[in-house]
Amino acid sequence: MTRHGIGRGVQGFLINASVLFFSILCLFPIIWMGYSSLKTKQEFARDIISLPTSPQFGNYVDAFRVGEMQIYFLNSVLVASVSVIAVVIAAFLASYALARYRFRLNAPLFVLFISGLLVPVHGLLIPVFILFKRLSMLNNRISLILLYVAYGLPLAIFLFESFIKSIPREMEEASYIDGAGLFLTLRRIIFPMASPAMATVTILSFLSAWNEFPFALVLLKSKALKTLPIGLTNFSGQFVTDYTKLMAALMITIVPMMIVYFLSYKTIMRGMLAGAVKQ
Amino acid sequence: MQNSLFKPRFGPLALLIGPALVLFIVFVIVPIILALWFSFFNWSGGKSMSFAGLANYANLIVDAQFWATFGNNIFLIAFCLVGQIGIGFLLAMLICGRALKLKEFHRAVIFFPVVISAVVIGFMWSMIYNKDFGLLNYLLRGLGLEGWIRPYLDEPKTVMLYASIPVVWQYIGLYMVLFLTGIQSIDPAIFEVAEIDGASSLQRARHITLPLLMDTLKVAVMLCIAGNMKIFDHIFIMTGGGPGKSSMVMAMYAYNQTFEMFKLGYSSAISIGIMILSLGMILASRGLLRARGDQ
Repeated sequence: MTRHGIGRGVQGFLINASVLFFSILCLFPIIWMGYSSLKTKQEFARDIISLPTSPQFGNYVDAFRVGEMQIYFLNSVLVASVSVIAVVIAAFLASYALARYRFRLNAPLFVLFISGLLVPVHGLLIPVFILFKRLSMLNNRISLILLYVAYGLPLAIFLFESFIKSIPREMEEASYIDGAGLFLTLRRIIFPMASPAMATVTILSFLSAWNEFPFALVLLKSKALKTLPIGLTNFSGQFVTDYTKLMAALMITIVPMMIVYFLSYKTIMRGMLAGAVKQ
Repeated sequence: MQNSLFKPRFGPLALLIGPALVLFIVFVIVPIILALWFSFFNWSGGKSMSFAGLANYANLIVDAQFWATFGNNIFLIAFCLVGQIGIGFLLAMLICGRALKLKEFHRAVIFFPVVISAVVIGFMWSMIYNKDFGLLNYLLRGLGLEGWIRPYLDEPKTVMLYASIPVVWQYIGLYMVLFLTGIQSIDPAIFEVAEIDGASSLQRARHITLPLLMDTLKVAVMLCIAGNMKIFDHIFIMTGGGPGKSSMVMAMYAYNQTFEMFKLGYSSAISIGIMILSLGMILASRGLLRARGDQ
């Protein structure tokens, strides 16, 4: 090997080693949590890093039986799926009108929706609390869903509008001329053609609803309604020093995300990037 | 012909735009107006409410605690600008290079924390920082660096530093993928020519990649600022704003004034303050970067 070649080899080794180190830095804490959740409290206290001698599922049993994680889990599933469906439908319909129709308020309405991307949502935390208090809609699942839909709209409309604009009009025109009405045309032609944008919007809104914390914290009071992030704070209060149980609860929250992520991380990355760049 | 097909009547139009518009107005516009309205009152949430004029704003402007929380947001932004954008860019460059194996694996793994709930990240890092059972202290002891052990989240002077690390850690992947996409959109022919001309990989990074990535960099900076102005979850979980109020950020201060002090009028003024400051920071960064780009 020439000197140059050896230099290259060393350089290549260093690059691989440093990126690998970084990947481990990202993944290991999660893996650590994963296998530690299979240890008993005593075994964990003896040695925090060793693998479990024999995997124990007691922490998970307790997380469900005593910590009632299933309540929070089902609430999260419900809130996230309903708000995703609602945001997709509401944003899709509005975007179609904004992309295709010419009317006087078209441009101002579009600007209004898009300006929502600039509104610092956390400034709305207290006023939203006051609003729902006045409407006697505190501690209500529907309040949270409506809120998630409203805050998902700006980005969804932005993504849908530009996508629908890129679809040629000929197919719709043919459908209208064949005598199909507006909603039939939307359902049969535009909706299926817009499926890439649909995937992006679905993923983004699902992630943000599943992970959202401050608004759920402020709006939901009773245990029966709480979503996972709020449930976790309850849980950690209940098992203050019981790390392995808390780890089990955290794993219950992220394992569904992990599965979805490793099945479709390319779509997720593309979606989050589209979302980030547009903001 | 064509025009008449897309010339809407009021009915269908209202049906299409109505739901989105109503939701948007009720949950975005109305709260802003409400915050503005209540910010002129002294109100603790009950029946009695007295007009206070601009008193809440006068108090806000001289409220050292409020500006301290804003300072914590600024600290986070500065820390993240260096950490996330710096490391994210470096990783993107390394992943694009020819020397790296398992590119796909690294990309997927480093991005993964981005999709996890910030609440989970907060709990996880509280455990990493734990004195007795934490991963960090275990590692330091193993390396014989006991002297580096600190009360990470319990020391008012340095708590923001340690509270910022998980935030940087979580989102590096987002910036890495952002830069990767930017780099991949550069015409490979440019690099080939430069390589034939004898430019080293460092020179190529400095004189080709970096200038062509200016737009991506602008997006990254704006994202960093917008994201850190609204930080709440991580810090709420890890420190609750403490010790004392040393790690409190703006959104948490508004929360604290509402739910612990019951000063709803004042916290409405804080909310307006948050909106003005956040919007100001975002627009200023836009203006600044645009001006820089024009030169």
